Amino acid sequence: MPATVAITLSVNGIQHEITVEPRWLLVDVIREHLGLTGTHVGCEHGVCGTCTVLMDGQSVRSCLTLAATADGSSIFTVEGLAGGDGLHPLQEAFREAQGLQCGFCTPGMLMLAHELLRENPSPSEQEIREAISANLCRCTGYQGIVEAIRLAAARPSAARGDQRHAFR
Amino acid sequence: MKPPRFEYLAPRALDEALGALAMHGDRAKILAGGQSLIPLLNFRLAHPDVVVDINRVGELAYVREADGDVAIGALTRQHAVERSDVVRSRVPLLAEACRFIGHAPIRHRGTVGGNLAHADPASELPAVMVALEAQLTLARAGAARTLPADRFFVGPLATAVAPGELLIDIRVPRASPRTGSAFVEMARRAGDFALVGVAAVIALDGAGRCEWARVALCGVGGTPIRARTAEEALMGQSPAGAALDEAANRAAAATSPPSDVHASAAFRRKLARHFTREAIRIAAERAGRS
Amino acid sequence: MPSVERQWIGKDVPRLEDPKLLAGRATYTDDVKLPGMLHAAVLRSPHPHARIVRIDTTRARALPGVYAVVTGEDAKALTNPLPAFCAEPVVQYALAVDKVRFVGEAVAAVAAVDRYTAEDAAALIDVEYDVLPAVADPAAALAAGAPKIHETLPSNLVFEKTLSFGDVAGDFGSADRVIRRRLRWHRASAQPLETAGAVCRFDPVSQRMDVWSNTNMINYVGWLIAGALKVPASKLNIVPMYVGGSFGSKHVLGKVIGIAGMLAKRTGRPVKFMEDRVDNLLASENLACDRTYDAELAVTRDGVFKSIRVRVVDDYGAYFQFGHGTHGNALAQVTGPYRMASFEYAVQCVLTNKCQQGVFRGAGSDAGNFCLERLVDAAAQELGIDPVEIRRRNFIASDRFPFKTPCGNVYDSGNYPAVLDRALDMAGYADLRRMQAEARQQGRYIGIGLATAQQRSVYGPTEFWFWYDQPGLTTAPESVGLSLGPTGEFVVTMFSPFWGNSPETVVAQTVAEEFGVDPSSITVTYEDSQHALPGAGPGGSRMTVMLTGAVVGAAKKLKDKLARIAAHQLEAAPEDIAFADGKAMVRGAPDKAMTYTDLGLKAYWFKLDLPAGMESGLEARHTYDHPYLTKPSADRKDLGAFYPMMGHGAHIPVVEVEPATGRVRFLRYIAVHDVGTIVNPKSLRGQIMGGIAQGIGMALYEESAYDAEAQPLTGSFMDYLLPTAQEVPAFEIGHVETPSPFTEYGVKGGGEGGRMIAPAAIASAIEDALAPLGVRVDEVPLTPERLVALVDAARP
Repeated sequence: MPATVAITLSVNGIQHEITVEPRWLLVDVIREHLGLTGTHVGCEHGVCGTCTVLMDGQSVRSCLTLAATADGSSIFTVEGLAGGDGLHPLQEAFREAQGLQCGFCTPGMLMLAHELLRENPSPSEQEIREAISANLCRCTGYQGIVEAIRLAAARPSAARGDQRHAFR
Repeated sequence: MKPPRFEYLAPRALDEALGALAMHGDRAKILAGGQSLIPLLNFRLAHPDVVVDINRVGELAYVREADGDVAIGALTRQHAVERSDVVRSRVPLLAEACRFIGHAPIRHRGTVGGNLAHADPASELPAVMVALEAQLTLARAGAARTLPADRFFVGPLATAVAPGELLIDIRVPRASPRTGSAFVEMARRAGDFALVGVAAVIALDGAGRCEWARVALCGVGGTPIRARTAEEALMGQSPAGAALDEAANRAAAATSPPSDVHASAAFRRKLARHFTREAIRIAAERAGRS
Repeated sequence: MPSVERQWIGKDVPRLEDPKLLAGRATYTDDVKLPGMLHAAVLRSPHPHARIVRIDTTRARALPGVYAVVTGEDAKALTNPLPAFCAEPVVQYALAVDKVRFVGEAVAAVAAVDRYTAEDAAALIDVEYDVLPAVADPAAALAAGAPKIHETLPSNLVFEKTLSFGDVAGDFGSADRVIRRRLRWHRASAQPLETAGAVCRFDPVSQRMDVWSNTNMINYVGWLIAGALKVPASKLNIVPMYVGGSFGSKHVLGKVIGIAGMLAKRTGRPVKFMEDRVDNLLASENLACDRTYDAELAVTRDGVFKSIRVRVVDDYGAYFQFGHGTHGNALAQVTGPYRMASFEYAVQCVLTNKCQQGVFRGAGSDAGNFCLERLVDAAAQELGIDPVEIRRRNFIASDRFPFKTPCGNVYDSGNYPAVLDRALDMAGYADLRRMQAEARQQGRYIGIGLATAQQRSVYGPTEFWFWYDQPGLTTAPESVGLSLGPTGEFVVTMFSPFWGNSPETVVAQTVAEEFGVDPSSITVTYEDSQHALPGAGPGGSRMTVMLTGAVVGAAKKLKDKLARIAAHQLEAAPEDIAFADGKAMVRGAPDKAMTYTDLGLKAYWFKLDLPAGMESGLEARHTYDHPYLTKPSADRKDLGAFYPMMGHGAHIPVVEVEPATGRVRFLRYIAVHDVGTIVNPKSLRGQIMGGIAQGIGMALYEESAYDAEAQPLTGSFMDYLLPTAQEVPAFEIGHVETPSPFTEYGVKGGGEGGRMIAPAAIASAIEDALAPLGVRVDEVPLTPERLVALVDAARP
């Protein structure tokens, strides 16, 4: 058996061909090999969600995904949100509502929020809390994050999500 | 917390997967959703020589009606099962239980087959399969066998899956008229493993008495506990009052719960009684309305 | 509410920190990548107490990709013991030397091409242990013949002392009643989402060590870290990183820096060691108080509190690195917001075979508040006095400030009745009681809790040592650099790291206020330790006070110079120059003005237009020392002012309890805080809510638990339970502002109050819910099992 595997990952719309050890976690490949350090490592056993990315449009814990399994997938990370002209409306809403303090959980929370608003453009407070309860925040007590998502939902451009990186 | 080294195979079809498993036998571990296996690898609690990644065996992901039953491919993601119109209308107990499995990101990857094959005693789906008397099909190169759920789970993290075998299909009966089902659980936090979970299916006759019942619990033994003595207490009775109390007591007595930092065995037994009542009560209510 | 209307202080200025954090572009320690960098992994002890007989690293060193393997022998050669804030001879190296003293203690470390390989190698290290009997709790630690955890100490009772203030015996003797409670506050862990870590790079020729780390106190005890690394202090450079939360757990990261540092020395390459989550849960520098209180409150029959006696046993784990500072901390506010004239505090610090304590948000005053407020509720209950009324009766009146407490600490300002009134009003307290009565009729158990408690801010370093007879350090500063460039842009330089508080925003708002510019126009930078001024960094809710003070100090210096330049240019007197609207102007003649751009250009490029003898350029640095710190008396009857910026809060949680299962859910949570002049309301609100969420964790979910053999039971996030958004309610937050007379703008710190007050309030609410069953809540966390046990025990 080969000690490495050649894989293709589309990350934020850019194709990457990389050679990985089968045991390498997707989060490590994103951070170390693609230099996208916005996705964070928090627990490596699937509880904290700081490693959350969108894989083929769905939120997943990249610490519980082998990069090799992700071969051929389309990955969306926090770096895909902001464009050259500034922050994404979702990020602006987080800023306005102070949905962050230390910022470590923030990329993962943005991924969940992005997915939620795409599927449910007008979520209730309970639906927001249920969605973000997949990830931990140790700083905000969550209310700022809930308010940020509500604020983003009230703004149609954010609610429809960023169309720049279409994924299925 | 990084996985140890392993050989890696990623078959693209079922026969290729079965061939790999035949070749490597007990040196191989199957990787489906990874939500159970990869934490074990990251903690280095598992050291498989070979990992057979079956995520590309698309033919194993399906939900379909088959002769009045619902057939679910082992690779079907829990999220897909939860959202499936067929499952929601035909096997509501399964859809309901799926919502308790972790959180959405976990259910996006976790599979029904992977969850059952992992057989964590606190997992919801094994108890649901036992309550539904599901039939599980195991395939190996050149052969297959089907066994009922209560013979599939043999111990904590242990199933009847032999080296070289792969769970491929789960068949559950569709809910019959005048039945109701319920899944309830208590966990320390939303999305955590259940301290105790109860799956109940109740069938009522025209007079509101219990015609038959299925009650299975998770988190209170090495495998799901089918509380047959509890079911017997309900037979021919209205599932309320003394009959309900007796059923709950018998279910609790049938458990052999673990003790851990979250709950002692005695506390789990108490909770088993409480939530068995809850599950039967709700299932009966739903049966009455169906 | 605010008595002074200001332009920028007090406004919801958007945080300067946020854009890069939101974009995922902030550099945290694990994001650091240096050429040739290696990665470390650590092998940890599986035994709570054992002699290390032999370590064989042959197989590990032979693994391809491994550059070095180090053990305690290397730690002794390459490093010195870690800095400790205690006087007792408790020696700790970054790797265990000769003995391991808790499960998870680091025994060996590997540097390899990547973390995967380093972990492979760690698994190949063979350690032979001679297992010793372990000490799992204070009772076992103090028992006759108990195994000694440190041979350098006479016993496992590492420290014991009683301090007494006022006439305790007299006040207890003349009391009508003594309220007694035994209370248990279990060990929790700060668990920020980012673990501790360091990248070290060592140059053997120059002996220079560069460190990138999420440690704090870079410019306070950097020289102690240098000593531990065995490099000259002037050759140590520490680069402050963005920190993904600390809550006290990253004050002095001697262990991760020591491990990365010794591997850097050994390999000649940069080495990164990031704790993984298991490393952090097992061996974090900073677990929190683990206390059993036997406490007594002396009261009159009218419910007046006369005195309090606290006896506390604290399980410190295997090392004493941060000393008994959390008891010094608690002394700041033992009598709370109440008028008592005396108190006694007896502490026993005990060592056991567990990971050591440090500090976690609240740092000892959280447990102290719990102790006091449980006694207050008990007094209300035993005397038959309403719990709101009994507090009012005892509050220090709002005209009594600055108020000197029995031990000498001062409360600078406060208005406790106003805070309580506001909380009751927001809660609709009378309606809540009516709702509760109706719910009780329906067989529901709804509780309304109350805690009125102090939240001290800006620690004085005397609290680390006034329990000893020998004196210690008395400096706890914070500095900033402030420059105005030739293009009229302000730049602030900071010398302490960002923890998730809002230091950049605080300094920008202060500069904006001082100079009349928009805060978003200000640039904030951080400086490495080699070029830095002193700063103790975040902790003890000090940064808002210390940074505003430092900025005001630097601004004064800069304004002096700007005023003289402008006066010289505009032919006015320097004292007639005012600063507003982006310019320096002559008071009363606003058209006689120079913009900051004019001034910048002038100062940097037109030396001959400056007043004679003036240096060109526009830069000021200021070190702001603790604004009100006084020495303890030699006899320790007066500890001086050491934590005088005293905030206060009232929390009213409303809960529903399910006695059959022990589940607790929040119906509402009202909290009113007074932390002096508020700099940024949204930012403060965020700190309060985050703190309350951690308080909810402490009250219901979080325990760093060990079994009877001192084996850890909570070694993953599946067992150490941080609350999610479904366990934490929406909060209703209110504010009262009583400015401090001792600080710039009257600010106080408010970062810890949420966690310092919530556990007491939640215990109060659960006890209130179960009052019909006669249950008393004396322990946190109150897990479902513990709660059900209380209910069962109370049933006839």
